[in-house]
Amino acid sequence: MKKEILRFDDVALTYHTVRGEVTAAEHLTFSVDEGEFVAIIGPSGCGKTTLLSLAAGLLSPSEGKVISRGTFGYMLQKDELFPWRTIEKNICLPLEIKHQNTLGNRARVLALADKYGLCGFLQNYPHELSGGMRQRAALIRTLASEPDILLLDEPFSALDYQTRLNVTGDVAEIIRREGKTTLLITHDISEAISLADRILVLTKRPARVAYTHELDFGEEKNPLKRREASGFSGWFEVLWRELNT
Amino acid sequence: MKKQLYSAEHAKFLKKRKKNLALIWSLRIGLLVLLLGLWELVTALGWVDPFLMSSPSRIAKTIGALYLDGTLFYHIGVTLGETLLGFAVAVGLGCLIALALWWSDTLRRVLEPYIVVLNALPKIALGPLIIVWCGTGSKAIIFMTVLVGIIVAILHMLSAFIETDKNKILLLRSMGASKFQILRKLVIPSSLAAFISMLKVAVGMAWIGSIMGEYIVSRAGLGYLIVYGGQVFKLDLVMSATVILCFLAAGMYFLVVLLEKFLVKNTDN
Repeated sequence: MKKEILRFDDVALTYHTVRGEVTAAEHLTFSVDEGEFVAIIGPSGCGKTTLLSLAAGLLSPSEGKVISRGTFGYMLQKDELFPWRTIEKNICLPLEIKHQNTLGNRARVLALADKYGLCGFLQNYPHELSGGMRQRAALIRTLASEPDILLLDEPFSALDYQTRLNVTGDVAEIIRREGKTTLLITHDISEAISLADRILVLTKRPARVAYTHELDFGEEKNPLKRREASGFSGWFEVLWRELNT
Repeated sequence: MKKQLYSAEHAKFLKKRKKNLALIWSLRIGLLVLLLGLWELVTALGWVDPFLMSSPSRIAKTIGALYLDGTLFYHIGVTLGETLLGFAVAVGLGCLIALALWWSDTLRRVLEPYIVVLNALPKIALGPLIIVWCGTGSKAIIFMTVLVGIIVAILHMLSAFIETDKNKILLLRSMGASKFQILRKLVIPSSLAAFISMLKVAVGMAWIGSIMGEYIVSRAGLGYLIVYGGQVFKLDLVMSATVILCFLAAGMYFLVVLLEKFLVKNTDN
C-alpha cells in the first residue's frame, strides 16, 4: 500500500488586490503518494505556480486544507544561482539557511555533486557554467537539504531545446535514483508525458483538477525512450484535446 | 591569467588595440598641454589680463608660496577631513536608513514623500539654519556635507534593495529563510554593484557639500581660499585652490574605482 505524502482537500485560494479579487483555485482536490512523480499541466495563467506555493506552505488556502507529511525543495524556472557565490557555496546554501551547515552535511552534499558530475566545477562561479550544468547545480542545491518532496516549477523552460532534452534526462535520472517524490508544473505536454507517473490536467482559472491520467509506460522511466515509445503520441493527443476544451 | 598561444592574427589585433590605447592617451595629455600652453601664451602676450584670468605659471607660483608659508597642507587637510568625514557619515547612515526602509514597508510608505521633498530641496537654502544650529566651525560644514550626500545615498540603496530578484527571494523563502537571512544572504550581496555606483555619486556630492559649507561659514580650507580670493580679487588664489580641488576630487574618485576592482573581481557577471 502506498503512503500518501501530500494532499489538497477542496482547496480554494482568492487573491485580493486594489483592483478586485481573483479566485485562483477552487474545489482543488488531489493527492500525491510517496515516491510518485506527478506532473500538473494546465492552460497558461491557470495558477499553476500558485499551486506550488500552496503546497510549500508559502501561501495558505482561503478554504480547504493542504496536508503534507514532509519537507519541500523548490526548483524554479531559472537556476537562480547566486552569481557572487561559487557552485560549492551555492549548493550548500540551504544548509546555511537551515543552520545545518555541519561537516557531515557538507560532505553529503559534496558527494552528491561528485556523483552527478559537478565535482570539477565546485570552485567555479555560475557564469562560467553552461545552462545545463547550472540547472544541474540548481537541482543539487534543491536536494541538499534532503527534502521529502520536490516541487519543480517549469524548471526546463528557460533552456534551448537540445539542452532541454539532455537536462530533462539528467534530472529525471537523478530524481529517480534518489527516489524523491516530485510534483512538476509545466505547460509542455510532451515533457509531462516523458517524465511523470501520473498527470493532472487543470481547468482554466479558477483552477480545478479536470482529468487525472495514470501513464502506462510500465518501468520505462527514461524520458528520451518514452518519447520514442508507441503510446507517446496517443497520450499527446488526449492531453492536447483536454487542454483545449 | 593562463598563458596562451595566440594566432598571428590575434597578436596583430592585440597590437592594434595597444596602439589605439597609446593614441588615446597621447591625445588626452596633448590636449591638456595645448590648453595650458594657450592659456600661458595669451596671458604672457597680454592678449588677456592675467590679473583676471590668472595663468598656469602664476598658479604654480601661488601654490609654491602657499607651500612655503606652510598653509597649503593645512587648508587641504581641513577640507579633506571635512569631506571624508561627511562622506563617511552620509554613506554609512544612508545605507542604514535604506535598510530600515527596506525592512519596514510601512515606514517606507510613510517617509517616502518627506524624502522626495528633501531630495528636491536645494540644501544651500538651509545654510542660515545650519549656522544657527551648528555654529560657524567645522561642525556646520560636515553637517552640510552629510545633508547633501545622505538623501542620494538613501534613494540609491533603497532602489537597489527593492529591486532584488523576486524569484531569488521566493527560493530563499522556500528554504525557510527568515527576513534577516534574506537580507544578509541575498539583498546585501546583490546590491554591491549599486553600492559602488552610489559611492561614485556620493564622492561628488561630498565635495559639493563641503565646499558649499565652506562658502557659508569657514575660516580655513580650499572653499575658504576660493571665497577669500574672490573677495580680495586675488584670482590666482581662486584658480590655485580650484586646481587643487580637481586633483583631490579625481584622487578620491580613483580610490573608489580601486575599491570597485578589489570588491568586484570575483563576481564579474
